[in-house]
Amino acid sequence: MSTILASVAVQNGSPSRASLEVLSRARQIADGQGATCAAVVLSPDASAVADELARYGAQKVYTVSDPIFARHINTPVLTALEAVIAEAQPSIVVFPSSEGVKDVLGALAVRTGAAVLPDVASVEMKDGGVEALRPVMAAKFMARTRAEGDLVLVSVRAGSYEAVEAPTEAAVEEIVFSFDEATLRQTLREVVGSTAGTVDLSDAQVVVAAGRGVKDEAGKQLVEELADVLGAAIGSSRAVVESGMFPATAQIGQTGKVVSPDLYIGVGISGAIQHVAGMSNSRIIVAINTNPDAPIFDVATYGIVGDLYKVLPILIEEIKKVKAVAA
Amino acid sequence: MKFCVCIKQVPDVTAPIQIRAGELSMDAGRVVLNAYDASAVEEALVLTADNDGEVDVVLIGPERATETIRKALAMGADRGAHLVVPEDTELDSAAVSQLLAGHFKDYSYDVILTGKQAQDTDAGLAGGMLAERLGLPYATNAVGLAIEGDQLVVTRQGDTGQEIIVLPTPCLVTCSNDMNNPRIPSLKGVMGAKKKPVDSAPVAEIPEASVRVLGYEPLHTREPGRFIEGEPAEQVAELVNVLELS
Repeated sequence: MSTILASVAVQNGSPSRASLEVLSRARQIADGQGATCAAVVLSPDASAVADELARYGAQKVYTVSDPIFARHINTPVLTALEAVIAEAQPSIVVFPSSEGVKDVLGALAVRTGAAVLPDVASVEMKDGGVEALRPVMAAKFMARTRAEGDLVLVSVRAGSYEAVEAPTEAAVEEIVFSFDEATLRQTLREVVGSTAGTVDLSDAQVVVAAGRGVKDEAGKQLVEELADVLGAAIGSSRAVVESGMFPATAQIGQTGKVVSPDLYIGVGISGAIQHVAGMSNSRIIVAINTNPDAPIFDVATYGIVGDLYKVLPILIEEIKKVKAVAA
Repeated sequence: MKFCVCIKQVPDVTAPIQIRAGELSMDAGRVVLNAYDASAVEEALVLTADNDGEVDVVLIGPERATETIRKALAMGADRGAHLVVPEDTELDSAAVSQLLAGHFKDYSYDVILTGKQAQDTDAGLAGGMLAERLGLPYATNAVGLAIEGDQLVVTRQGDTGQEIIVLPTPCLVTCSNDMNNPRIPSLKGVMGAKKKPVDSAPVAEIPEASVRVLGYEPLHTREPGRFIEGEPAEQVAELVNVLELS
């Protein structure tokens, strides 16, 4: 029986939301093919999340536990995934499309002789091949692409599928992995500006995103206060990352992170197509901008034409009031 | 250090593009040097200006893509190599990396740079594939590069922060456009580029693609939304109401 394998990333001790989304999609494809749905986890303590993965439909969980996976380094990830693929013999491997995955996908494809469909918005089996829709041309269009071969690797953009529970029993198999760090040809000296432990942008249920309309420290503080009262993660457009006001990890868009929260609030963001490509899967989009012709209003569920410096202080106070009543 | 930058000619994605019967329709004349590759060329030029060295570029494309090699030479690169394929040849990332790997068998470089992805396909695979084929250590999505002795220090934009990675040479790095602002070639650069050597040779055998584009479709549009009118206080009251934040 063939296997559809989902690659799972662990964040703060739990599978990331994007990972559960691809696992759910793997389960759907496996059900359609009469195949086994399996998951692979590389983590210092990979078996700890096995129960959670069974709850989302993994009938088999391959674990590779090693302290080296606490931080991303491409060589050991490649070695481990190659070993798991050799053991599981999957026909498709689906990954959440993160920077860590983008770092290994090409090399892994060459190592395993796989065809690759990177950064897709949808994926399905069709006529014995794998077909996917991918945003191309700076996210102006979707390309319908088709891969054929015994093994196809697919990375899926966050928010393309819903994470759906489908409880089952999972058989756990620990893959023997020993990695001699002395053979590593690259060294990870440090990770700067690490956001580990805070609300991860890709996983957040609520995102407040800042754009060029946020002009100064006072504006930035308003964005931070709004995010704080909503328990939101802070995102941004490329412009305010370039100006140095927000860190690069906050950048949302075709070349940054893809977010798909329940609620996205764009503050002073015009909505360039490259930014919209990273947030258009959000359930509710609120846009606050002074320019009524800003393209972000084309995708917004609710649009407010107004000055963020006037709207945000009132909004923050009102949210505080309703939260206080609710508490 | 000797650098080689893999560059690509891509359609100008800022130009008007339409879909006709599942095919993209655009002005064939509007082509540019892939922006991520331009950042890679810029970075190689900056690093060799400070530390001595050479910068070559290599491109796979039809005859007319020579102009993109000239652009890189006008920026300041020393030599170009052009692997010529017929017009409208479809190459997937695997095929591109296979042809480039063949090219690099005949040359020796300390650092191979590529853009992190091409602006037209946004696949981002060829760099990692090429590194694996050549057996080189590599890093992707670099936002900064520095030379330390005979090593390369890469600042990589990762998922949770910036990873500072030290690579021995030879190695391969894929570059983000957040790395720098590529220079505009000077008139002197443009004139000088005409005299710089470009080795041009037809590709003997086109590798078969394992991934094919079946056609293009418009983006799925969202349900139309609505504006919330009024003074800021009224707008906020209405927003808080419709979002059911309580």
